[in-house]
Amino acid sequence: MAATRDSALTRAFDNDWIGPGLVSLIAVVAISLAQPAFLSSFNIFVLMSAISVNMVIALGQLVIIGLGQMNLALGSIGGLVAISFAGVIERYGVPVPLALAFALGIGIAAGMSGGYIIARTMISAFIITLAGLQIFKGINLGITEAQPFYGVPEAVKAFGQASVIGPLPWLMVPMMVCSVAMWYLFNRMRIGRHILAMGSNPQAAELSGIDPKATIIWAHGISGLLAAIAGLMLVARLQIGQPTIGDDWLISSFAAPVIGGAVLTGGRVSVAGTFFGVVIIAIITQGLVMFNIDPFVVQIVLGALILWAVAVNRLREVRIARVQARGAGA
Amino acid sequence: MTALQVSHVSKSFPGVRALHDVSMTMTAGSVHALLGENGAGKSTLIKIVTGICKPDSGTVSMNGATVRFANPRQAAAGGLGVVHQERNLVTRFSVGENILLDRLGNRALSLVDYTSLHREAEKWLKLLDLDVDPRTIVSRLSVAQMQLVEIGKALSLQSRVLLLDEPTASLTPNESKVLFRVLRRLRDDGVAIGFVSHKLEEVFDICDRVTVLRDGRNACDSAGLSQLDRNDVVQMMIGRAERITTRAPRPGTDAAPYLELRGYGSGAGHRDINLTVRPGEIVGLYGLVGAGRSELARAILGLSKQVAGEVRVLGRAVHISSVAQALHHHGIGYVSEDRKAEGLILMHSVLANGGITIWRKLANALGLLRDTTIAARVGPVLTRLEVKTPSVHQITGNLSGGNQQKVSVAKWLAAGVRLLIIDEPSVGIDIKTKAYLHDLIHELAEQGTAILLITSDMPEMIDVADRILVMDGYRIKGEVGNDRSYDPVSRAIMGLIHDRAAA
Repeated sequence: MAATRDSALTRAFDNDWIGPGLVSLIAVVAISLAQPAFLSSFNIFVLMSAISVNMVIALGQLVIIGLGQMNLALGSIGGLVAISFAGVIERYGVPVPLALAFALGIGIAAGMSGGYIIARTMISAFIITLAGLQIFKGINLGITEAQPFYGVPEAVKAFGQASVIGPLPWLMVPMMVCSVAMWYLFNRMRIGRHILAMGSNPQAAELSGIDPKATIIWAHGISGLLAAIAGLMLVARLQIGQPTIGDDWLISSFAAPVIGGAVLTGGRVSVAGTFFGVVIIAIITQGLVMFNIDPFVVQIVLGALILWAVAVNRLREVRIARVQARGAGA
Repeated sequence: MTALQVSHVSKSFPGVRALHDVSMTMTAGSVHALLGENGAGKSTLIKIVTGICKPDSGTVSMNGATVRFANPRQAAAGGLGVVHQERNLVTRFSVGENILLDRLGNRALSLVDYTSLHREAEKWLKLLDLDVDPRTIVSRLSVAQMQLVEIGKALSLQSRVLLLDEPTASLTPNESKVLFRVLRRLRDDGVAIGFVSHKLEEVFDICDRVTVLRDGRNACDSAGLSQLDRNDVVQMMIGRAERITTRAPRPGTDAAPYLELRGYGSGAGHRDINLTVRPGEIVGLYGLVGAGRSELARAILGLSKQVAGEVRVLGRAVHISSVAQALHHHGIGYVSEDRKAEGLILMHSVLANGGITIWRKLANALGLLRDTTIAARVGPVLTRLEVKTPSVHQITGNLSGGNQQKVSVAKWLAAGVRLLIIDEPSVGIDIKTKAYLHDLIHELAEQGTAILLITSDMPEMIDVADRILVMDGYRIKGEVGNDRSYDPVSRAIMGLIHDRAAA
């Protein structure tokens, strides 16, 4: 009874990244035909810098989505890490490598502590990370008194402004490393497979001998690490330790994975799809600005895009469920 | 050699004594049947053995040593494999990865070696005669194949004790045969196999020992099956003496049908369903798990699309597209099988649950509801059903199972439904409440309510229904008139179901 006859078309439909990939391509072609300045090297540099940071942010959310949870504290962890990094350098003259390690450690610890509470109490991640959002933001404002740290070393500033070759920024490098690492995590590493197994069928995962608590703590730790990396990339890009870093991450951190085919109930994620989700959001934001369209329209378009992506994902889930129901004879 | 021993285990849940002084001894190289009707305590016993819940008293030991598993993971590590009734596979993962899910690597960040993983998985699939590439995604398998994959998963943990909870419930006879061949071979290799089933033919085919539970007690403890025949086992399961029905068959009614389905097909997969329920009539819908009975109830309520045929209420063709419509326009109510998840809001008061169906009618001009208004309508119904609660403001979750069930019936009665679909009314409630519920169903019918009763409990069906429709594979296979004589009626029902073997 198992459905084995799928046309090439439906297989492509099942592939998470092909849809968003095509949309990205069409958007790039359409906008650059209408507005050749879109492909200027300055514009590409700006676009790629934004995409790089947003991709790392989206990956931080993706790992929690894979688990079937949400991380609302992602941005406030990123912000706390950013000001901690700039802060210890400005106030205490800590050397950059040490400050980096310290800042990444804060990200991991912040993520893991949230994960620990979720795993221990089994209270919804939504509430725990909502509390985390407040706490980390409060610490951030307590330290900075809402004033930026300006003492960011030249080497860090250069990293945020320099290009590797042509219009491609250095910021792409950490983004690519993180993307490849996360692809390996989800497809080839034990912990990633366990996260997805928990997201798909928590009961089955637990009965199979997966330790649910450890898996949850790991996932939130990884999420915190990615938030930290994104926070540091923003310090380099903005050239200062802004206390507001992370305030605006939330919507796009969910939008990009969802546009990329992730299912919010967990177990289904795509790193490549998420990348194209980030690209689509960046192109739309940037493109509409180039056409002098009001920023509020950008917001509406982004909202519509999320709805569209959710509808497509839902359609696909229903179709899969139907195939499975047929397979189960029920 | 004794592989698993359960000694004098008792367990109570609020309102129900689930197990009372139950023992069972499973030996290596033997297939041991665990039998009992729904609610007899089989699931509770399995839960205790696998560490999902803890016994109030008594012990479980494996190979002579007392064990206290804190959770199923520990049980698995201790060599006790369980194949649960629900599919416990990650359907997006490959067969091989599912089998070895807990052994993907030594450390969290270890890379998974899929080549050797699938090679290892292949060994277990071969052992089970399962001709499936371990790289296949589980969602593409048939149910029988999934079942075998789960057995492979349990075996790959080096389990010497294997418990199978109704493994054949959703298998065809041919698929069952394959499963039995595998089980025999495992038995010959010295595995102790526990086998829960409702199908006695299978039990006599493959098992050599049997433990029967009835109302949470041992009706027999690890007896040899060779000295027993089918009748003895049935006797032990249903305790004939106390279960002989006192109800006479009710005279048929020729009232105009309340609900009538003709050639009905649903989006859930039902085909060619013909069914009539008349006012004052109790129509039973019998079938095995997965036959599509609850799904039919939900389709009638408008939760699945109607794709063929027609639905008539009081002779008028109707199209029901939502539960609200079914209730408010057509007077159809549904007492769900899963009263915790679907029937009742356990956190709310008895009054709120009883009145939820009539809020719409009772709201005053401003759309406001007053407790006294609701109590005036719900109170008499609760009294009539003898719901035992200190007050109508009591939290429903604090009532016993039987009283909860009464509240879920009460809410439909308060709404004045004319057709009540009752799905597995006595799952998880004790025998006295069960008898009471049966009286209640009869009383409702006497007062003219049309009743469609869904149950997998054969004695219950024969005790309560006027006539029985038998369902299998989302179709009605036939109808059996019910004269309350257990053997001929149950044989006729099973005959209609097993018809499938020939098809």
